[in-house]
Parts: sequence; C-alpha cells; structure tokens
Amino acid sequence: MATKYGAYAGKVMYVDLTTKTYKEYPVNDKDRKLFVGGKVLAARIMHDLIKGPVDPFSPENPIIITSCPLNGTPCPSSARFNVSAISPLTNLLTSSNCGGSFGTQLKRAGLDALIIVGKSEDFIYLDVSEDGIEFKDAEFLRGKHTGETQELLPKKAGKFVIGPAGENLVKYACVVSDERAAGRGGVGAVFGSKNLKAVIADGKNMAPRYNQDKLTKLIRKWVKDLTSHPLTGDQLPKLGTAGLLSTMQQKKLLATKNFKQGQFEHYRDICGEELAEKYLIKNKGCRACPIQCGRVVEVNGKEVKGPEVEIMGLMGANILNNDLQKIIQWNYELDELGMDTISTAGTVAFAMELNEKGIWDSGLNFGKVDNISQILDDIAHRRGEVGDQLANGSKWLSEKYGGKDFCMNAKGMELSAYEPRAAVGQGLGYAVSNRGGCHLNGGYLVVLEGLGLSIDQYTTAGKAAFTVMFQDIMESVSAGGNCLFTTYAFFPPFLLSKPNWWLTRIVNKVFPYFGPIIKIANKHSKLLKVNIASMLPQPLGITHATGIKMTMGGMMALGARGYNLERLINFRLGLDPATDTLPKRLTEVLQDRDNKRSKVPLDKLRAKYYSARGWKKDGTIKKRTLRYYNLLNLDDISTRSLEEQGERNIIPPKPKKRKKD
Amino acid sequence: MKKENLVTVEFFGLYRLAYKRASVELDAKNIKDLFNQLYELDQVYTPKELKNSIVILNGTNIMELKKFRTKLNAGDNVLIMNAASGG
Repeated sequence: MATKYGAYAGKVMYVDLTTKTYKEYPVNDKDRKLFVGGKVLAARIMHDLIKGPVDPFSPENPIIITSCPLNGTPCPSSARFNVSAISPLTNLLTSSNCGGSFGTQLKRAGLDALIIVGKSEDFIYLDVSEDGIEFKDAEFLRGKHTGETQELLPKKAGKFVIGPAGENLVKYACVVSDERAAGRGGVGAVFGSKNLKAVIADGKNMAPRYNQDKLTKLIRKWVKDLTSHPLTGDQLPKLGTAGLLSTMQQKKLLATKNFKQGQFEHYRDICGEELAEKYLIKNKGCRACPIQCGRVVEVNGKEVKGPEVEIMGLMGANILNNDLQKIIQWNYELDELGMDTISTAGTVAFAMELNEKGIWDSGLNFGKVDNISQILDDIAHRRGEVGDQLANGSKWLSEKYGGKDFCMNAKGMELSAYEPRAAVGQGLGYAVSNRGGCHLNGGYLVVLEGLGLSIDQYTTAGKAAFTVMFQDIMESVSAGGNCLFTTYAFFPPFLLSKPNWWLTRIVNKVFPYFGPIIKIANKHSKLLKVNIASMLPQPLGITHATGIKMTMGGMMALGARGYNLERLINFRLGLDPATDTLPKRLTEVLQDRDNKRSKVPLDKLRAKYYSARGWKKDGTIKKRTLRYYNLLNLDDISTRSLEEQGERNIIPPKPKKRKKD
Repeated sequence: MKKENLVTVEFFGLYRLAYKRASVELDAKNIKDLFNQLYELDQVYTPKELKNSIVILNGTNIMELKKFRTKLNAGDNVLIMNAASGG
C-alpha cells in the first residue's frame, strides 16, 4: 500500500487495451490530499493525459474510473464512484457519478482508480482483482442488455457494464452498475469505442480507516440527522425524486413541450404521488444509504428500478405524454439498452418539434407514444436512418437540420427537466456547467428557487455566488464519495417543515442578498477552517476515514480546485467560452407573456458568475485563481518514479483463475 | 336555503400519502374554515399543523394573498402540499 492515509487502497492502475498491459500510475499522498478522489482526482489525472483536442472515439481518449475515500466505509450514502472521459456528446471532459457496487469493489480489489487507454482489437471485459487485471473475452456478452450482461458475469464481483447503445456508439450511452447508471456524457460509447463491454472488480482488501472510533460516532449522528430531516427522512424515502414533479408544476419549472412551457395540464397523471400510490412496490437504495430514494416497480412481471423525476418530466410533460405506465416501461428499456434517460428524452423532444415544424419527419410527434419503444431500440442499435441520426444527440440534429434556438442543450448536452426561465439561477448553472446541460454540475440552484426554499425565482441577486458555492460543495462531496442528497441537511429543517413561518419567509426574502458575503467566502474558502457536523458532516467523514484534515472551507476549496481544473482541461480540448450559453428560447422568449422577468438574463448572470469564480471577463481563468487552488505548474504524474510513493506492492502476482466464471 | 360554496381540495406530496386520497370537495368559506373541515373529516392533521403546508389557491400561494383568512369562492381549486426537494 502506497499511502499513509486511511480508507484508500493506495494504488492506481494504468491499463492499455491496445497492448493489453498495465502498470501502476504513481499517484502519491500529495495528490490524495489535494484532489481526494472521485471526479476531482480523475480531473487531476486527466490533466496529465489531455494536452489538446481528442477525438472521443479515438484510443487516446482515457476512461478514468475513480473510487472515493468513503466508498466501502459505513458513512451514509457513500457508494458513489465516478467515471470520467472526453464526452462524445460535448467533446469536452465529462464525469459521471454512480451508486452501484462497483466503486466499493474496485477498492476491495486494491485500486483507488483505473485509467483505461487504447483500444482492444477483440471484444473484451476487464477483470480486476487483488491479483491483478485480466483481459477476458466478452464475445458471449455482445449485444446483451445491461441486466443480462451483469447476470452472466461472476456473481460476487462489482460490475460496470454497457448495453447495446454503448456498443453501437450512441453518443449518450451510459455505463451501469447494478441497477444504477453513470448516465450523463456518453461514457458508455467511449467503452464501446474501445471494444470494452465491462469492467468487473472483486477482492477482500479492506483499507483501514484513520480513526474508526470517531468515524463511528460521526456516522451515528449523521444517520440520525438524515433520517430525521424532512427531505432525507421523509420526502425522499416516501416519494423518491419523483415527488418533486408536482412542486415543479406549481412553480412553472416543469419543462413542457420541449421547454416551450413550464406547466403541463396533465401533470397529475405522471406525478410522484401517482407513482407511489399505483406502482411502487418498495424502496431501494444504494449501499450504506439510509435515505432509500430508489423506487422498485414492476415491468413485464419483473421487479425493476422505477423512474426518477428527470425522465418523468422529460418523457412526460416535455413530450406531452400523460401515460405513467409508458414512462416506467421506457425507463426500464433505457436502463437495459444502456442510454442516458435525460439526453434520450431531450433528443426525442427536439425531434418532435422538428417534425411539428415540418423540418424533419422522424415519425416522432408530441403526444404520440405508441412508436417510442421501437425508436428507443432503433437508437440503441443505430437502426435505420432515424435511429442512427437520433443516436447522435440533439445538437448534432440541430447542426444538420437547423433549430438551434429551440435545441435544448448546453455545450451539446441535453438539459434536465427543470425549466430555467422560472429559476434563472438554474439557467446560469446549465450554461456554465463544465459538462454541459446538467442540473447537478450546474449547481442545482433550483433547490433555492422553489424546490425546497422559495427565494425570488427571477432575481439575479446572489445567484452567481450561490451557484459557485453549490457547484463547489457538490463537486467536493462527490469527490469524497457521498451522494449529493446528503447535502440537504445543509438546510435547517424548519426551512422545509415550516414554509409559512415568519422566520422562513424572512430567510427566503433576504437569502439572495447574502450573495456578496458568499462571494467573499468562496474566494477565501481556505480560511474557513470550521466544521459544523449538523450542516456539512462530509468533511469530518473524510477526516476520520483518511486522516486528511478537511474542513467546510477545505471542501469548498477542493470543489473549486476540481471545477477550475475541469475548466482548464476543457480549454485544452478547445472550449470556447461563448458556449457558456443557452438556446434563445430560454434567454429571449418569455415563458409567461405577462411576466417580463420570465426569461434567463444570462449575460448579466454570466458576467457575475465569471467574477465570482475569479475568472476574467472573457471566461478564462485568472492566474491568481489557479495559484490559490494549487493548480499552477502541476507536474505530470506519469513521469514520476514509483519509488517516490514509498512503501508499495510493485508487481502483482500472476492472476489466479476464478472458480466461477 | 344556504348556498353551497364548494371548493376542490387536492393533496400532493406527503399530504396525499397521509390523507390517502387525491382530492376532496368541501364547502368552506376561507382557508381556516377549510382546515377545520379537513380535520373534522379525516383527523389526519390539526388546523395548526396544516398551517405548515404550502397552500396554492387557483395557482397562487395563499401567503401572497390574505394567508389563512383568504376567502374561498365556489369552484376554487386549493392544493395542499409540502416543500419538496431532491432531484
């Protein structure tokens, strides 16, 4: 083990599929301290590997799978691991987070991260264990759905697999572990381009924790806080994320008819309450999760994962469909085919509008649902002209057929289900997000703008500074390995359980005016050397598990380090800051003709955001910002000698044969 | 004969699960009266507890109107829901 820190396996492996060889990648404790894990550590490694634009389907595109220090610990909701690559959808860096068992198993197999480059000549899967990495024939898995693929692989292992969509290079193909998906950005297609069907990992390595007693004590309080909080203890377990939909409707946040409107008259038929009453069999969560937000429903006589709010909105209101049974069916089919539900739905809605306008007849029409299952299957197999073209995503279609003003994407990635003209901070987040039109990477400000708190949805005050803070916190929480839902304890419970109380109303009124203070806090985050376990327990979790001293300010700095580093890599990939933007439908067309504020004032918000980030007016990063976050003059990890790591296992013994394969 | 002031009350979020129904029609003159009637009907939440719900009258939050004294008219649509989050 090459680390003094707890909870890490202490080894990162670099795998070349072309030569079918692997070697240790000399990540050291300084890297662990600064970049921790998950998407931030992946960005650090990506910084070594990406020197200029990369074709996402070329052998040079690295797939970096990173576990996180809290994976495998009993910390609540700590199963989240990350996969990063250059996205075929955006041609920029993408990172996608998943709650399946693979992350924990990767660590048990003795690795913190796996870097995969090159392209295999034959169709293979990787088998990672404490004994090493084996390159195994995957012909027997070719064309198989994600569920069947996982069933055919060894039972005990953690699996990370693609379906037909990844094999056929659908640009928004996902990678699936258990029934959870690393959905966004099309990493599944990058797997496919490398002839890589799956990675499995299995082992018994249990990395010791730095201070188990303190960690146990913290976890007891943490679980208690989560299970007693109105969101994580009540709303999410009972209704899942789907419970948001009816609130989105009331707040005009429910993307409807390809984001033409923010409300859907038939929302009652597709809301989370309907799902809970008529379809829910039981709850299910990721490993070590007390929230259990996952839904289990029945499709074709089988118990499967139920839909999340994004697909319920985007395959419901956004395509004028009020048949919830169909949404449940499509959700299952998309998981099995291995396609991101959000990008698929956004592409379908755009094609519907192109058809409605007489621009391109794909056979897709708003409100018509009978042919959708067939079209999803056609997309996954790139079958026929329609399937093949839809597989390239909405931006590609807009470049071919026109309609950029109503092609609802940011940087090539389709937007999530939140209509940002009624939540302008969320609109800013979509526009500036490193990975494109993602609600979470964008900062999820909609949580302040109607979903949870109820600050002024249309004001620009404070929105930029809060976007920066939320992006950074979510970035760092992801790096640690917790689910983002654990951050909801950040809000004192009374703000949600007593929305009409005078204090709650005052908080909602004054919240935006804290923007300047938040801006200062963001810029000097390293000075915030405090921990308040009831607000943000994650830094204490990292401290007790690893021994890396982490504070709330340290988490903000870690997040900012990751966010700036990702931006830096995106510049190397050819990012044009002019693409920090949104389709004109959202910035120029009013959602509500009687409300002149009901569009995203993006120019104003973006300028404030750049300033709050410590970036120049042209969107590039100031040198002093890079210096503050220790991002100046980063060395190339690959050029270090392994001896710099100290004690370690140098070469793994010859792989043992599995008993059951 | 007293003229009926029938309003439709719809439940969303955790309130719908607690009331075990999607909607109910009530003859109420204002929100406070409506809360009292709901308690008489189902005894799920007391009127005081219901003051912690988000109440939307014909698309407008009652906190922007006359709060719990907001008058109701025949045919009004009242939604009762909780603050929600987490997508």
